[in-house]
Amino acid sequence: MNFIKSNLLNKIVLGAGLMALTACSDDLLEKLPETEIGAENFFNTEEDLSIYVLGMYNFPGSGIYYGDEATDNTATTGNREIKTIMTTQASANSITGGWNWEELRNINYFLEHTQDAEVTEDVRNHYIGVARFFRAQFYMEKLRRYSDVPWYDSALGNTSEDLYKASDPRETVVQKIFEDYQFALENVRESVPEGAVSKWVVAAYYSRNALHEGTFRKYHNELGLQTSADSYLNIAADVSQQIMDQGGFSVYNTGRPENDYHTLFESQNLSGNPEVILTNIFEDDIKNQGDPQYLFGSYEMSPTQDLLSAYLMTDGTYFSQQPEPAAMSFVEEFKNRDPRLSQTFAYPGWELYYTSTYSPGNTTYVQEFKKSFTGYHQIKGFVNDAAQDVRSGVDVPVLRYAEVLLNYAEAKAELGELTQAALDATLNQLRDRAGIPHLSMAVQADPVQAGRYPQVSDPVLLEIRRERRVEMALEGRRLDDLNRWGAGKLMEKEPVGMYFPGLGSYDLTGDGVDDIVLLNESDAIPNPKETNSLGQELIYYKVGSVGNISANVYLTNGNSGNIVATPERGTFLEPKHYYRPIPASEVQLNPNLEQVFGWD
Amino acid sequence: MKHYLLLILFLSISSFGFAQNQVSGTVTDASAVPLPGVTVMAEGTGNGAYTDFDGHYSINAEEGETLVFSYVGFLPESRTVGAARTLDVILNEDSQQLDEVVVVGFGTVKKVNLSGAVNSVSTEQLSTRPVSNISQGLQGMSPGLNIDFASGAPGASPRINIRGFTSINGGDPLILIDNIPSDISYLNQLAPEDIESISVLKDASSAAIYGARAAFGVLLVTTKDGASGKPRINYNTYFTAATPTVLPEKISDPYIYMRLQKTFSGKTPWDNQFFTDEQWQWARERSDNPSGTEAVRQNSSTGMWEYMGNRDWSEYFLSSTTHSQNHNVSVSGGTDRTNYFISGSYNKDNGALILADDYYTRTGLRSKINAELTDWLSLGNNTSFINGKRKNPSYFDLMSVYNFNVYDYAENPDGSWANTPVGRMAARITDGGEENYATNTFRTNFNAQAWLLKDILKVNAQYTHEYESQNYDSFYSQYRIGFAPDDIREEGENRVWKAFGQENYDVFNLFATFTKTFGSDHDVTLLGGYNQEEYRDEYTSVNRRDVISNSLPTLELATGEMLGSQSIYSWAVTGLFYRANYIYKDRYILELNGRYDGSSRFPEDARYGFFPSVSTSWIVTQEDFMQDLKPAINLLKFRASYGTLGNQDVGSFGYIPSLRSGSGGNIIGESLPPTVISSPALVSDNYTWETVTTRNFGVDLGFLGNRINATFDIYRRDTQDMLTQSRELPGVLGAQEPLENAADLKTNGWELSLSYRNYIGTKKPLNFEARFNLSDSRSYITSFDNPNNSLTQYREGMELGEIWGLTSDGLFQSQAEIDALDQTSIIPWGALEIVEGWPKYVDRDGNQAIEVGTTADDPKDISVIGNMMPRYRFGFNLNMDWNNFDLGIFLQGVGKRDYYPQDYLYWGFYQQPYAGGYGHLNDFYRATDDSQDLMNMHSQSYIDAGLAQANTDARFPVAQSWLADRNLGERIDQAKGLAIPQTAYLLNGSYVRLKNITIGYSLPTTWTRNIGIKSLRLYLSGDNLLELSEIADFFDPEAISDIGSSLNPGASPSRGQTSGYQYPNQRKYAFGMNISF
Repeated sequence: MNFIKSNLLNKIVLGAGLMALTACSDDLLEKLPETEIGAENFFNTEEDLSIYVLGMYNFPGSGIYYGDEATDNTATTGNREIKTIMTTQASANSITGGWNWEELRNINYFLEHTQDAEVTEDVRNHYIGVARFFRAQFYMEKLRRYSDVPWYDSALGNTSEDLYKASDPRETVVQKIFEDYQFALENVRESVPEGAVSKWVVAAYYSRNALHEGTFRKYHNELGLQTSADSYLNIAADVSQQIMDQGGFSVYNTGRPENDYHTLFESQNLSGNPEVILTNIFEDDIKNQGDPQYLFGSYEMSPTQDLLSAYLMTDGTYFSQQPEPAAMSFVEEFKNRDPRLSQTFAYPGWELYYTSTYSPGNTTYVQEFKKSFTGYHQIKGFVNDAAQDVRSGVDVPVLRYAEVLLNYAEAKAELGELTQAALDATLNQLRDRAGIPHLSMAVQADPVQAGRYPQVSDPVLLEIRRERRVEMALEGRRLDDLNRWGAGKLMEKEPVGMYFPGLGSYDLTGDGVDDIVLLNESDAIPNPKETNSLGQELIYYKVGSVGNISANVYLTNGNSGNIVATPERGTFLEPKHYYRPIPASEVQLNPNLEQVFGWD
Repeated sequence: MKHYLLLILFLSISSFGFAQNQVSGTVTDASAVPLPGVTVMAEGTGNGAYTDFDGHYSINAEEGETLVFSYVGFLPESRTVGAARTLDVILNEDSQQLDEVVVVGFGTVKKVNLSGAVNSVSTEQLSTRPVSNISQGLQGMSPGLNIDFASGAPGASPRINIRGFTSINGGDPLILIDNIPSDISYLNQLAPEDIESISVLKDASSAAIYGARAAFGVLLVTTKDGASGKPRINYNTYFTAATPTVLPEKISDPYIYMRLQKTFSGKTPWDNQFFTDEQWQWARERSDNPSGTEAVRQNSSTGMWEYMGNRDWSEYFLSSTTHSQNHNVSVSGGTDRTNYFISGSYNKDNGALILADDYYTRTGLRSKINAELTDWLSLGNNTSFINGKRKNPSYFDLMSVYNFNVYDYAENPDGSWANTPVGRMAARITDGGEENYATNTFRTNFNAQAWLLKDILKVNAQYTHEYESQNYDSFYSQYRIGFAPDDIREEGENRVWKAFGQENYDVFNLFATFTKTFGSDHDVTLLGGYNQEEYRDEYTSVNRRDVISNSLPTLELATGEMLGSQSIYSWAVTGLFYRANYIYKDRYILELNGRYDGSSRFPEDARYGFFPSVSTSWIVTQEDFMQDLKPAINLLKFRASYGTLGNQDVGSFGYIPSLRSGSGGNIIGESLPPTVISSPALVSDNYTWETVTTRNFGVDLGFLGNRINATFDIYRRDTQDMLTQSRELPGVLGAQEPLENAADLKTNGWELSLSYRNYIGTKKPLNFEARFNLSDSRSYITSFDNPNNSLTQYREGMELGEIWGLTSDGLFQSQAEIDALDQTSIIPWGALEIVEGWPKYVDRDGNQAIEVGTTADDPKDISVIGNMMPRYRFGFNLNMDWNNFDLGIFLQGVGKRDYYPQDYLYWGFYQQPYAGGYGHLNDFYRATDDSQDLMNMHSQSYIDAGLAQANTDARFPVAQSWLADRNLGERIDQAKGLAIPQTAYLLNGSYVRLKNITIGYSLPTTWTRNIGIKSLRLYLSGDNLLELSEIADFFDPEAISDIGSSLNPGASPSRGQTSGYQYPNQRKYAFGMNISF
């Protein structure tokens, strides 16, 4: 009996002991992240502030070289928003890009958390300045698309009533944007590592966007804000002036007009280049450049004859003054032109070293023709080098001092305050690099250029616009320029390419020896093909009118005329197409949002 | 079965006697019910008879002979014939069957006494046919247990799901191995031969005891125990040879391929397929005279190699025979008080890839020891160590393997790799480095069982520790490509990766079980216990580029910057659980289960939940009034259950708003910022458990002495308070809406399983057993905050898996038809031309324009045209044995499923001109015959294929690349052209797969006994031998089964999942052996 009892007791003790093991389990369920950090442990040091603002960086890379697609500079087969808007029944249901607010939330969250950092006021204000600069940048993009947008300067919660507020008027938004730029200009450090946001990066964007706002107000009656245009033009001029006076930048000019300009776009290392205000730095295998191989060749884009005709002659005269400029052969077109042309377009005799799917051929390049392409080929931004590590290490000049000079000249011209001295200090610096004569205040208007911009009568302003188009060609600025000048109609012009007076054989390399033969679509290609005096086989193309399926190339008149690129350019509705619709789903979610200028 | 085999063995070697006398009698069961169809055999004579409907038999037998009475479901009886000429026999039901025990949570229960929906799966096939892992062996075996192998990669884990769609956040069944929660990869690392039993717990009541993680069913796996007695040694092995099941079939004629490529791209804005006249000429010659025309030559002007291949290159990389093998040896035995089971196993599963190693191996050791220390206390230990290792080339891109152009080539005449994508892939696979991923899992479990009151109250304590280490080693190295005879170049990068992880996992269970029968009619079982688990996983990864030497690819011997990352996560759960089971008179059963659970994954105030359930059943055949119907009806049982479980299958720290970190994108100074920080995701106050309520009703039936068994279950499962992004908020929020418990789902389904077993013949009976199971489920969203009924979000009333699309109206046959219907809004990239032969659609809303609507209320011209959810899943097993031979046939499949293809493997050049050449597309629209110019260029093969002739009555549209381009997105609001699902090309995704046939032969024991072998079975087996499906013309029908992300209408599915780009499943031919000593 006793034995049994003690046995039972043992068992109970054992059971109880096991139960006891399980007791303290409250802490067990308290698991916290170990490789993530909460806000309460962050925002303390300058290092914390620094690695947060680095996450806001969003500067463009080699994509800028695609940026003129579907404007009057570049024909495209690609999918570009402005092309879709002009050629389809675009609506708030189909045009839904651009309404992204993540960046703003990220910036505002930062601004709400900087007060606790244990840093000096200067340090704090530098980082606040950087964040406010990015906020201004963010809102400029919104402004460009929607004109009126809701302004937020705090990070919203999911129950905030402000989620459902109406758009603020453009004036309010612009005022806030420029307060941000001004704060940033006054507080961001001048000296920062290469690639980082500095006072001068802030200033260059400030200058660009003030000019944008000034000219936009001036040329867009639908806003009814013309009277306030000058105040922004003044800011543009003043900020540009400050950069010119204090920034220490200069136009990159080593006295080699045939190369200096192009060097900016194919450099392995732009740091130290006096013209570049901000570089997007690329290093092979650390951060590879996008390798924009497809902007050359026949993938989706090709520059237009309209852009080519905008370049001056070497002596400073207009191309339009040449006899029959519209009926000039490819080789002739490149003779005696502003050297920037041959640093932007593949010229006759240009040599191709990097070949890929869309850019066949090697060494001396014979322009390849294809339906939907103009026959001209872009080389600005194309890295003509077979080595992958070279291509992936090319830096992108995000901000060039050249643009600041052009901003200044344009703002002053719009204000009617431009002088020859100011021209010489700005725009003519660029002409010096190109080795062409200075623009004079006494210039006579080019009727072709005047035809483009009927709202402008000042011949100097017309030439400033030309200079801007040429200097900044294919760097992604054209669409914005056309928008702010109220010149969207220019995009309706059918993009065409090279001119051919008729069937027959032609030289494209400039050596006087024929390279290609244009046949009528019904003619047979000889077998074997003929060779030229260099022993190379001629390249045969069958030409015909648009829609003729047996043709390889369309010409405007069938057997003669300009090469036709994408024929359908659609209609640019003014003022509607200067703006973008707020996505329909967003208006549904927040009925207080109102669409602008005829979008629905 | 064994008895029959022995019997047959005897019979086959016996001789016939003569001059016998009649013996007759009646055979009944224990309750005196006559048994018809009982086999009566005179042992050693070959004489046999059956009982008639009244149980009567008569047979010739001499005095002293032995009569054997056998009947399915009953124990055989042997009687010696005496002087009496009448011999009545009572057969007893096979108690093994009656007492069949099923493993349930923290215990076992007699199958007949189950009240929940529990299925025990036959594990016999896990060793008698060649399955390289357990989930392979389970596929198609149990109704409602859905297993899909999208990928056939060695060691790949399938998706396992119980009873269909669970939650919009996913939710997998809980897998327990010897009562320890385990993930599926661990399950697949177990040796199938070590498995004793598998139970599938499907409803809330059977799973409730596992609470927080068992909301979507439980898979209970129990490994084998030792058995007392002399040591018994088992050795199982097999060798397999395998080839891919289905590879996409390409036109290998280079001229046809090139001409189609050119034709498809030719009339688009991106006419980018350049072929020179010389290439056309060469292609034509290769086509007309493949053996007499060179495939590689030097370009006359550049001196570089150029190529004109003529084969489908996916076969070059994948289609050959690869070999795998499996070995498992186990020893078990013991004494009265102790027993042990020890096993070792090795499996090597080779993938389809040739040219380089691509395999998975697992090596496992297991030991299980139990000892009764005293009459009330026993202790046990169960320890296993498993090593899994995956080895494959670093570079291997299945998509490009399927997409190579047929005119590419692999090798140059000098033996170097060709300067083509094919040559590059081959060079990368052979010389570009390799990847090794190894896991070592050590798990040990100590358990104690103490009888506090003998046979009434026991306490069990179990403690398990698991430690797993993960080791990942990989490198990329440079490889060489031959451009010209003397121009061989190095390409590629040199980089080395090293990653290591360690996981620690502790599980502690303590529970007490009380079992007592009060009076003779009241059986009571009470169980209560405590469970706690803690998990922590840490993973660190480092990589460095510029390896100095390819032969020593280590971090130390590299010169680039060292980059690293680390992740840690952890969780814990605790729970108190109970089960109360009451059985009255062996026929009325009531069971209550429940659990009070806590999980670290929720905020403190929402951390605990209580989840109860109830089930009941009635065994009608135990009622007195049913006794007369036996054995015609052996079993009739009704079951019903109701219960609620919680689902805590969400991120470890989802309720904590941490700052997000990433790597910097801009070089500042000279380097990228290693880390940048950004604002945290939004977290809602409303964040707690999802709950899952299941109602289940079931019937179990047994007929004709359990020859026929049937089980039917019908259920409804409501998944409530699913965590999802709350109501769509304006975009100005600038963040994903926080997760809240805001959506509900219901799933209705049923399951049926049928089995029939019997034998034919008497002298050498053919025993057979057929099992069939079928299940179906459909799920609907019952609540979701989508006030506009947007089609790009879940919405109330939506059935999961529905496919929205356009209704085909054939192809445009005239310009007038084109002019009458505005289809511009669906033109891919806004750039293709609508011409004759373009797909034409039914204008459902009658506005003369084809448009895709964005809401269910105004869908414009789209409607629901199908559903991608697999339905009517079935499995069919037929096992037979005769005269030492055995035969198993296993079919498995899906009865209904729709599939709309959206990628190259179906659309070829319609997608983009970079891959294609699929013969099924040759019936495309051609407005006119080719011009004489073109006819002169064509190869004879092209003309013979009819491709040069007009074809206006075509199945496929006019040849336009980008017409089926998926790259604008597959989501309904993004898709254009043929990427929008439409009725004409919606495929029937149902399939039947001949999963396995096995033929075995067991050597007569009389032969083997002499050499000390108890039994020896040899078999030949074939896996995945045949598939019947419309999909199987393009790729393996299981390759599209990974539909998880496509079910969310808001997701943009990525290319890999449902496009058929999967590592091929394999047809396997195996030879195997099972030996016992």
